[in-house]
Amino acid sequence: MSELPLSATADAALQAAPATKARGYWATVGRRITRDKVSMACALVLLLIFLSAVLAPWLGLEDPYKGSMIRRLRHIGTAGYPLGTDELGRDMLARLIYGGRLSLVIGILPVILAFCIGTSLGLVAGYVGGKLNTAIMRTIDVFYAFPSVLLAIAISGALGAGILNSIVSLTVVFVPQITRVAESVTTGVRNMDFVEAARASGAGPFTIMRVHILGNVLGAIFVYATSLISVSMILAAGLSFLGLGTKPPEPEWGLMLNTLRTAIYVNPWVAALPGAMIFAVSICFNLLSDGLRSAMDIRN
Amino acid sequence: MKTTTRAALIAALALASAAAWPRAASAETVLRIGMTAADIPRTLGQPDQGFEGNRFTGLTMYDALTGWDLSSADKASVVIPGLATEWKVDDADKTKWIFKLRPGVTFHDGSPFNADAVVWNVEKVLKQDAPQFDASQVGVTASRMPTLASAKKIDDMTVELTTKEPDSFLPINLTNLFMASPVKWQAFYDKAEGADAKAKSQAAWTAFAKDASGTGPWKMASFTPRERLELVKNAAYWDKARVPKVDKMVLLPMPEANARTAALLSGQVDWVEAPAPDALPELKQRGFKLYANEQPHVWPWQFSRVEGSPWNDIRVRKAANLCVDREGLKDGLLAGLMVAATGTFEPGHPWRGKPAFEIKYDKAAAQKLMQEAGFGPSKKLTVKIQTSASGSGQMQPLPMNEYLQQALAECYFDVKLDVIEWNTLFTNWRRGAKDPSANGSNATNVTYAAMDPFFALVRFLQSGMAPPVSNNWGFINEPKFDDLVKKARQTFDPAARDAALAELHAASVDDAAFLYVAHDVGPRAISPKVTGVVQPKSWFIDFSLVSMTP
Amino acid sequence: MLAYIARRIVYVIPIVISVALVCFLLVHITPGDPLVAVLPADASQELAAQLRAAYGFDRPLPVQFGLWLLRALHGDLGNSIATGRPVLAEVMRAVSNTVTLAVAAAIIGFTMGILLGLIAGYFRETWIDKVATSFAIAGVSVPHYWLGMVLVIIFSVQLNWLPAVGAGPNGSNSWAWDWAHLKYLVLPAITTSVIPMGIVTRTVRALTGDILSQDFVEALRAKGLYETGVFRHVIKNAAPTALAVMGLQLGYMLGGSILIETVFSWPGSGFLLNSAIFQRDLPLLQGTILILALFFVFLNLLVDIAQAAIDPRIKRG
Repeated sequence: MSELPLSATADAALQAAPATKARGYWATVGRRITRDKVSMACALVLLLIFLSAVLAPWLGLEDPYKGSMIRRLRHIGTAGYPLGTDELGRDMLARLIYGGRLSLVIGILPVILAFCIGTSLGLVAGYVGGKLNTAIMRTIDVFYAFPSVLLAIAISGALGAGILNSIVSLTVVFVPQITRVAESVTTGVRNMDFVEAARASGAGPFTIMRVHILGNVLGAIFVYATSLISVSMILAAGLSFLGLGTKPPEPEWGLMLNTLRTAIYVNPWVAALPGAMIFAVSICFNLLSDGLRSAMDIRN
Repeated sequence: MKTTTRAALIAALALASAAAWPRAASAETVLRIGMTAADIPRTLGQPDQGFEGNRFTGLTMYDALTGWDLSSADKASVVIPGLATEWKVDDADKTKWIFKLRPGVTFHDGSPFNADAVVWNVEKVLKQDAPQFDASQVGVTASRMPTLASAKKIDDMTVELTTKEPDSFLPINLTNLFMASPVKWQAFYDKAEGADAKAKSQAAWTAFAKDASGTGPWKMASFTPRERLELVKNAAYWDKARVPKVDKMVLLPMPEANARTAALLSGQVDWVEAPAPDALPELKQRGFKLYANEQPHVWPWQFSRVEGSPWNDIRVRKAANLCVDREGLKDGLLAGLMVAATGTFEPGHPWRGKPAFEIKYDKAAAQKLMQEAGFGPSKKLTVKIQTSASGSGQMQPLPMNEYLQQALAECYFDVKLDVIEWNTLFTNWRRGAKDPSANGSNATNVTYAAMDPFFALVRFLQSGMAPPVSNNWGFINEPKFDDLVKKARQTFDPAARDAALAELHAASVDDAAFLYVAHDVGPRAISPKVTGVVQPKSWFIDFSLVSMTP
Repeated sequence: MLAYIARRIVYVIPIVISVALVCFLLVHITPGDPLVAVLPADASQELAAQLRAAYGFDRPLPVQFGLWLLRALHGDLGNSIATGRPVLAEVMRAVSNTVTLAVAAAIIGFTMGILLGLIAGYFRETWIDKVATSFAIAGVSVPHYWLGMVLVIIFSVQLNWLPAVGAGPNGSNSWAWDWAHLKYLVLPAITTSVIPMGIVTRTVRALTGDILSQDFVEALRAKGLYETGVFRHVIKNAAPTALAVMGLQLGYMLGGSILIETVFSWPGSGFLLNSAIFQRDLPLLQGTILILALFFVFLNLLVDIAQAAIDPRIKRG
């Protein structure tokens, strides 16, 4: 799917990294991003979707699982069903809001997991270097040799449908990407003066890794990881869309898109709604990630 | 500039219409069909993809020794002579059958159909050291004729078939063994390159699949894997009444209901199997004809009868059967595309029998039975059903199960659904209710085809068919069923055999062995240009009867 | 240069072998019986065992892998279980359809992307830039399978202008570059092109902006070079990176077409992969993944080499 030009990201991250030495850097970044209208609008939209998903049971919505054969595929704007009903007569508004729960979890969790795993691997590979670096990075290269959609679908296809399986497969897809960024940023920082200085002053490798390198590279990897969330959302929903992710009757946007596809001749716009949700979340994450990157980029 | 363009346009139009004229006059008629299969079923004689495979690439290009009567929409579809004209079991040794073959039949390549061809075709799936033995055809074939052991030529027009044990179902099972041309195959084999005989054999079958030869009413014209199969009529077909009226038939795999419907609406095809139910009103409104008929198919809950299962109480089984408003399901959810099931076979079928227990919607009676069994509004009976979200023949499993869930709640059932993947559900079917894969379920929801007695009754009801042998998922162990199965298998007079099967079926309904819910109706949407369509009560349909008006 | 190419090629060999291993293992962790396509649930146990032996699934995994790899090196990926047809021929046929789609999408996506990117980079921080970047962001954020569905709703269902599914009136067999066939390609190609369009736009915009803000451009302008000259300079400097990005995108389109091909029933490699997954056809699944991954590996190799040829500074690693 949308693979960002990796080297450009890593380079930008590298340039951003040394600035973290300066005190108040994060405060500056924070100030800059709150001034960015687009980022704030996106953050607001995401916050709304998050909150409504979390608070869904208390919003007085219809039961998202309860269908009725007589009110199938109602149009948008039907009294009592502001967004219509789906192919089993379930309220679309409720299902879209409840659907956020699973969709967000299976979209975001893989990136968080991959962030933890990939950062650890990349840090170790970048800091220790030598044979360990070769071992880790060559293994990573093998997974990198698959286009990410193909890899995700191959793993999911092999493991079978299920939420857990699709989280596993997406994590496997993102670990190599994050590891590569983490490794290249760490290698870059490792050779910089302030690390040399710390080493000369007798700090142990773990202290150096924890205090200096982690502090300096984490921001860069974080920015990269946030840009993956949008890809992950689209892929996770895509797996469900193919029938390789969530199983019915769970409300989840990708799966809803799949099951509603048979209704495009009857009620096309209701059928298209779940995709609009995926699009909205994905574009907000992308814009937010862009905003974050430019806020962290000291050259501007 | 402008005038030249216009002149050119007019010229082009004139040319086009001139070209169109003679073509329209001598147009060959082409019937284009959108199948539900994701791929063209195998073309080498033994199709895959279940009975849809047999429908499109089996019965079209090939014949079997016995066939199905597909000429009527009202009568039950029964077994009739095919490439064999008559058959009978040996009176002394009930494992031996004599089949008389139809004279004067030739394969599409011109070679004669005879006893050698029958023996060759039996051995392609049963004799492992035969050169034409093909493991890939064994599974789908051997399991549909589980007792056939071997074949022997008596004379050119007579063969002797031997079964492992006396089995009166053999003639029915033989509808699944299609006769491919040995001569044609041998020609491919002789030309094939390969390291050893096995590799050559495989190459020969691959070549045969692309250029097949059977005896059926349709001949293969061209074949594009996964996209398109073109068949042309076999004007020399042995049954003159079944020589196709259409010149050419094009089969297109379209696994998506939407895609099929769109293709029909836009005129890409003339006929689609299973149109999207939601599009039916539009199809009707635009003048397309809808066909449907009861199929030998059952959508059931198959009960677990292992120790501790709530379904061991016959009152509970009967209550469930009485508590479901099948007509409500039909009209509310399936747009009329089902037939309410009151057993595996419906009245009019030779194997129906006369069950005493009448399956219908009677909520009061159901509630009474449940109360007698010790349940009530304050003491609900929890049951767990394993089902899938999709799958071949499963109709609309989730909505239908949710409907049952709501319906049975009225009769003090608390239904829990365990939704798993279709392949897994299907595999679990062979593992049985005691296996951990059942995940504590006390019923499973795998639909079944009820074409022949073994598949419709025996494999579920006979105690010896319990997992891992076959599909008696719930470990039914009822001596009465076992006796009746044995009786039916060993009754060789067809009428008496049917009576014995009817007795077995009636006994299973009286025992409420399943929750019988629905029969599929094989819906089709067909362009008004197509006439003469007869949809029998079968998985199959006779394309020979169909005509096209240009 | 030759030494660099040789080094890169040698480096690819272990990757290829590991990729083959991953494909093989991936498919063999699959739960369920590999013979489910040819073995009905009602088959007897003897029959099941007999078939398992006939297909070689009773041998130990390392032996199966060795045999598979050995045959794969000879260009034999085995036969599909479900259809009995040779896997390689089947995959290559499907890949050729995917290539048709990818090329069409690349033409649309890359042209649009380069154009939008140049304009945005040239008019940075103006409203033109904002419009172009919005397009790009939308392109990379849109779930393309949904976009495909929406396009079908508009152009097939509502307007009835273009066919919703398929690859030509008579299947892909008789593909021709005329309107009767091309109209089948329009919607899937547009759908496939949005991601590369977005990414190329972003890349080209960033490159153009960077190059224009560099000192030498100012120097050139000061020397009185016309804008066309500056423009030529931009193109020359942006080309290597842009080409690399486009090469990768082409790889992603070839390997990641499954969702779009499923939406449009386009008989390509993704469609094949989908049916292999759902039919649990192990040889076909292995073969398809392997071929697609190898395409990607070699495309990457080509991109690397091409990049090094254009810009010698890259030959560092």
